[in-house]
Amino acid sequence: MIKVIKKWLVDTARVMARYYDIIFHDAGALLFFFGLPLLYPIVYTLIYNPEVVTDIPVAVIDHSCTAESRSLIRDVDALPSMQVYSQCVDLPEAKRLMASGEVIGILEIPRDYAADLGRGTTAHVPFYCDMSLLLRYRAFTAALTDLQLHISQQHTAATIDRVGAESLGISLPVNADAHFLGDTEQGFASFVMPGIVVLILQQSMVLGICLLAGTAAERRRRNRGVDPRAIPSAMPSAIAWGKALALTLLYIPAAIYVTRFIPWMFNLPAHADPFQYLPFLLPFLLGSAFFGMTLASVMKEREDAFILIVFTSVLFLFLSGLTWPRYAMSPFWQWIGGLVPGTWAVEGFIRMSSNGATLAQNSTPYYYLWALTLLYFLLAWAAHRHLRPKSR
Amino acid sequence: MRIDTGFTATFRRELSRMGSRKMYLGAMICIPVLMALFFVSLLSPGLPLRTPTAVVDLDHSAMSRAVIRSLNAEEVIAIDHTAENFHQAMQQVQSGKTFGFFVIPRNFENDVLAGRKPTLDYYSNMTYFVPGTLAFKGFKTVAVGTSAGVVKTTLQSVGLTGDEIAPMMQPVATDMHPVGNPWTNYGYYLAPSFTFGTLALIIMLMTAYTLTTEIKMGTSPAWLATAHNRISVALAGKLAPHTIIYWVIGLGILSLFLGWAHYPCNGNIGIIIAAMLLMVPACQALSTFIVCLLPNPRLSLSVIALISILAFSIAGFSFPVPSMYGAVAIFSYILPVRYMFLIYVSETLNGWGIYYLRYYFVALIAFLPLFGILAWKLKRACLNPVYVP
Repeated sequence: MIKVIKKWLVDTARVMARYYDIIFHDAGALLFFFGLPLLYPIVYTLIYNPEVVTDIPVAVIDHSCTAESRSLIRDVDALPSMQVYSQCVDLPEAKRLMASGEVIGILEIPRDYAADLGRGTTAHVPFYCDMSLLLRYRAFTAALTDLQLHISQQHTAATIDRVGAESLGISLPVNADAHFLGDTEQGFASFVMPGIVVLILQQSMVLGICLLAGTAAERRRRNRGVDPRAIPSAMPSAIAWGKALALTLLYIPAAIYVTRFIPWMFNLPAHADPFQYLPFLLPFLLGSAFFGMTLASVMKEREDAFILIVFTSVLFLFLSGLTWPRYAMSPFWQWIGGLVPGTWAVEGFIRMSSNGATLAQNSTPYYYLWALTLLYFLLAWAAHRHLRPKSR
Repeated sequence: MRIDTGFTATFRRELSRMGSRKMYLGAMICIPVLMALFFVSLLSPGLPLRTPTAVVDLDHSAMSRAVIRSLNAEEVIAIDHTAENFHQAMQQVQSGKTFGFFVIPRNFENDVLAGRKPTLDYYSNMTYFVPGTLAFKGFKTVAVGTSAGVVKTTLQSVGLTGDEIAPMMQPVATDMHPVGNPWTNYGYYLAPSFTFGTLALIIMLMTAYTLTTEIKMGTSPAWLATAHNRISVALAGKLAPHTIIYWVIGLGILSLFLGWAHYPCNGNIGIIIAAMLLMVPACQALSTFIVCLLPNPRLSLSVIALISILAFSIAGFSFPVPSMYGAVAIFSYILPVRYMFLIYVSETLNGWGIYYLRYYFVALIAFLPLFGILAWKLKRACLNPVYVP
């Protein structure tokens, strides 16, 4: 028994050494294992770094032409998310501007706007919004609601004063305060990057493993089913563990880089205690390595990694619930998403990093990550058993 | 008499090559189609209603229960958790059970009736954008409505009628008209744009793969010989079977969205079909150009994978291009899928006609010369195939 354990440990160490040797002599693998985690987080953050959408061009049609309507236009222009791009004579003119993409929204102030305000009936101001991106629609609705509240409060306070109800102390009976947690300035990069960096770790690792596996398959074909760079005497479980440990060790600096350095560089939310989230990322890295080995078992050529793996980044991004929440998915997709280590890692890491949660509060994703590590280890083990030369 | 240019022979040669590996057709057909089905299925609710949220009722009065009833009546949030205090509610957010909570302070009813202006606090977790935004929206509606309800009751008590009160509460109402997508359905633009992105990714990768694999296997001189050593014929004959397959898949995806899934189309479907028919060769041309620059499987596939994956972000499917940094936004112009996305959303949601889309079509056509610009370089590489792994 002790002999078997000793052989297993020696095999694992030999596989690790050989795997490092292969990785450091393969420019493609180096690009995936080092280049991707190093550069992708920077490129992505640069794309999303403007964080909030401001000064979206809006056309205004002022049919009222009164002091009140001009005051409204000034208020609209003063909103952070809107900018009065043009004042149009009529709706067709504004529509032409919208069709040619010069404005995204149209505010139409009706002819009796000031009259309605003075008469004490509600003045309706239609706003037409281009719906090609819901992010802009969201910015518009939030801004217009604030504007409407602002005007209403001014007006209500004035009216209440007029009817003399001020003495009853009811001018604004209830205050309401909104508080934003995690991503306090509601920025896009601050929301999306903590999840993206975790997925980058997983995907770059899977891509690299698949690239190396495809290359090994080519070597096997050239050498009548035997890979000259493999260690044929090693136990299959030792091969799987040797590779997984080699990659996990390789990825610890990358994990620290994307979770500490990138947030520091771009001022993204990072409230996690390293002693809480680094243990959390350990089963994720191990699980990703075994997950990659499982997927790698179908690779037949070096280039297969590109064709069969690159698109999964989009799939896994959506399955992780970052853009579309997991509670709104059908049970089938929740289940499929649950099989990807990245899903649980994104969920747990975002809560720790942005909401300052502890490892204990994320025990569910943590256990799932270990369970997936076990599952994919078994599959990777089976795959490596299958790869053993048939003569043995 | 017909002149034999070698096109037919190259076309046939490519067809048999495609049949030789299952992965070829698997990647070309299955990946785009399955991703289209995935997005349609995943985003079928359109808007994720019933965001899990909690309420912290520190007052336990008739009025606080009325507020909770209003919260429960909001469709975008579901009060499926209760918390005894702020700390517990925060714990629920941190462990991912809820995406926000609403706090009704102690002595809320007393303070309202006494005119001491209590404060309703609501917290939304913006680390998940969509649920956080929806929780915020639901909470805000209720918080504002509570205030208005109290004013209304008080004004009625001093003798004003409902008709007089309504305009006092809301002197100005901005009526939002979400043109073309009144359901604020995310799927209607997200599912097609990400599917087109996947299709473009597969087209570009497979084009580069099919060209560079000839160099890798050393079969590129034979390929050129089939086309009588003319690179233009060789490229046309090799890529035409792919183009036809992608056209069929592209049109199939469009019929999946606009027919089977009943996505709205307020414009001319012919325009969208034309854009799809142009996007396929545009992507192939861009990919061919990159292969001509870097006639090596690893380098060209790496560059194409890099561009195509970043395309999902840079093409502005979720974050608008005009809001990006100029130095980043400029890269959106070199992506065929960006124009496809703009044509699709503009024509299906707004339907303003081809006049307003003319530049996008010109841009898609402008990619086509990329097939030929550096073809001489590819020819040179094909005649002396060197494989660098």
